[in-house]
Amino acid sequence: MRFELTQEQQLFREMVREFAAKEVAPRAKQVDEEGVFPHETIKKMGELGLMGVAIPPAYGGAGADTVCYAIAMEEIARACASTSTVMTVNNSLVGDLLYRFGSEAQKLRYLVPLAGGRTVACYALSEPGAGSDAAGQQTTVRKDGNVFVLNGTKNFITNALEADFAVVFATVDRGIRAKGVCALIVEKGTPGFTITKVEKKLGIRGSSCCQLLFEECRVPAENLVGEVGQGFKIAMATLDSGRIGVAAQAVGIAQGALDISLGYSMQRVAFEKPIASFQAIQWMIADIATRTEAARLMTYRAAWLKDRGGRYTREASMAKLLASETANFAATKALQIHGGYGYIYDFPAQRLFRDARITEIYEGTSEIQRVVIAQHLLS
Amino acid sequence: MPLNIIVCIKQVIDPEIPASQFKIDPGTKRQVQGSHSLVISAYDQNALEVAIQLKEKQGGKVTAISVGAATAATALKSALSMGADEAILVDDPAIAASDQQGIAYVLAKATQKVGTFDLVLTGCVSGDWGDRAVPAFMAEELGIGCVSFVSRIEAKDGQVVLRRVVEDGYELIEAKTPVLASVISDDTNTPRYPKLKDIMAAGKKTIPTWKAADLVLDPDRVGSGAARVAITDVYLPLKESKCEMIKGDTPQEQAANLAARLRELKLI
Repeated sequence: MRFELTQEQQLFREMVREFAAKEVAPRAKQVDEEGVFPHETIKKMGELGLMGVAIPPAYGGAGADTVCYAIAMEEIARACASTSTVMTVNNSLVGDLLYRFGSEAQKLRYLVPLAGGRTVACYALSEPGAGSDAAGQQTTVRKDGNVFVLNGTKNFITNALEADFAVVFATVDRGIRAKGVCALIVEKGTPGFTITKVEKKLGIRGSSCCQLLFEECRVPAENLVGEVGQGFKIAMATLDSGRIGVAAQAVGIAQGALDISLGYSMQRVAFEKPIASFQAIQWMIADIATRTEAARLMTYRAAWLKDRGGRYTREASMAKLLASETANFAATKALQIHGGYGYIYDFPAQRLFRDARITEIYEGTSEIQRVVIAQHLLS
Repeated sequence: MPLNIIVCIKQVIDPEIPASQFKIDPGTKRQVQGSHSLVISAYDQNALEVAIQLKEKQGGKVTAISVGAATAATALKSALSMGADEAILVDDPAIAASDQQGIAYVLAKATQKVGTFDLVLTGCVSGDWGDRAVPAFMAEELGIGCVSFVSRIEAKDGQVVLRRVVEDGYELIEAKTPVLASVISDDTNTPRYPKLKDIMAAGKKTIPTWKAADLVLDPDRVGSGAARVAITDVYLPLKESKCEMIKGDTPQEQAANLAARLRELKLI
């Protein structure tokens, strides 16, 4: 057993860490407070290969492995969770989906620019009545000659406002639940496809979150990913991979919380001593560091399993569950260490506290992760 | 005109660590690495960037050389991922404690072993000790010209034009090749971030390690025995901060007193 990154993975971490410190972190406050999409940063990340980390070079990616992807997500999230949210949707929810299930033509048309960071995409699965119950899709699709016709509403769709295209899930028959679900690529500007609401969020405010409406939206038949009825399988397989990304994002937020806790506690003086010299603070720091390291190891293991080609659904769920709860624990403690300063907008503790919250909700809530883990143990 | 460029890089402890974490080992009189990472000395990265830009424009080849411990292979991998074509590590206990002149001698011998070269680039100041000696010593060893504090280089009519930064501006110096330049930073030579695919490609390249015997070094010119410079003491500067209240009955009078005091302290 070796708990070491390869030399390339170490070099890659150094590069992303430096990039994040110089290009991402200085903009994090503005991205959050003004709710601005980090267009420039995403473009630069695309040039470096960060928008298609594990996608082969033939399809515009960098051809690295899932461990590298986890490293990159962690380092970017450590600097700015909003930016890492855009990154994870492009990389795992849409990029990985197109690479694993898309046709050659779909890969060339949609995956190549996406993995190069020249386009942004979104993954439209959730609905007003179908979040955790993804098989209960109410959005319908019917075949009409050479086109598929979509009708329905999608909720809480990350990146939708800036997305050049969406991968939309819909059913051919609500009665047969999972067996009727299809995945379709829908380009921005397709008649019948509109954004009806941009949500105001607690955290990750630099990434958009929208409600989408499809009204007799006609999509070319060649935009069907896989086959009719394969959509649920595609959605779930993609979420397995996505959970590694969110786990890594949560590890990054937790590490960010540790960073600011160390920095603040060593320079903040109370009772004529740095507060880091008090055991009450030391214990909180030790707990943050220990849990963060545990979450990191589980995340890397899930990524490593994926790279080896083995099954990793349970491990991805475990990593996502532990890492997201760790991010919230770490951010809560970091805010506490900062005292009153943690509660105000001049200091980043509150941003981490707000950003961490989503990691327990999206790409499968903590409750769903427990269901997945228990099902694997009990089956 | 394609250029064969040698870039000398040094691995140092990350100089961007907080001052409070800077520690010196009183025994070795060296900085303690602790958990801090090792990086390429900052100006050496600028030199590498200048070399890669020249290669992209003119064609040719960039070879990075580092004299150091086995850990310097990581710095050389970084150089490869930025765009260097080849990298060579010179690592031998016999040269470990060499002074600046000894290191310059080793670098010169390694440069000659690489073969034909048009340009040798180094950083203008080392990121750890703040030394500026190696470039000039190395040029002397190689018997070529040396231009220091160069920010930009252009190839023109079979020569190179070097932009040398001076106090009030810059000088343009035409030089026949081969020539050595020590590089200073400016906005045209900010080191690029290596692309992920280039990091992966660099990982697959092998870095040869040359020993003293490979370079046929004169043992009397390297190592601690040959060193002409000895570090007698190293210490952290003591920083004192004092607060002085400037008196005055009105804001105007306070401002005038402040200006007078600053002038007295020769700060303005």
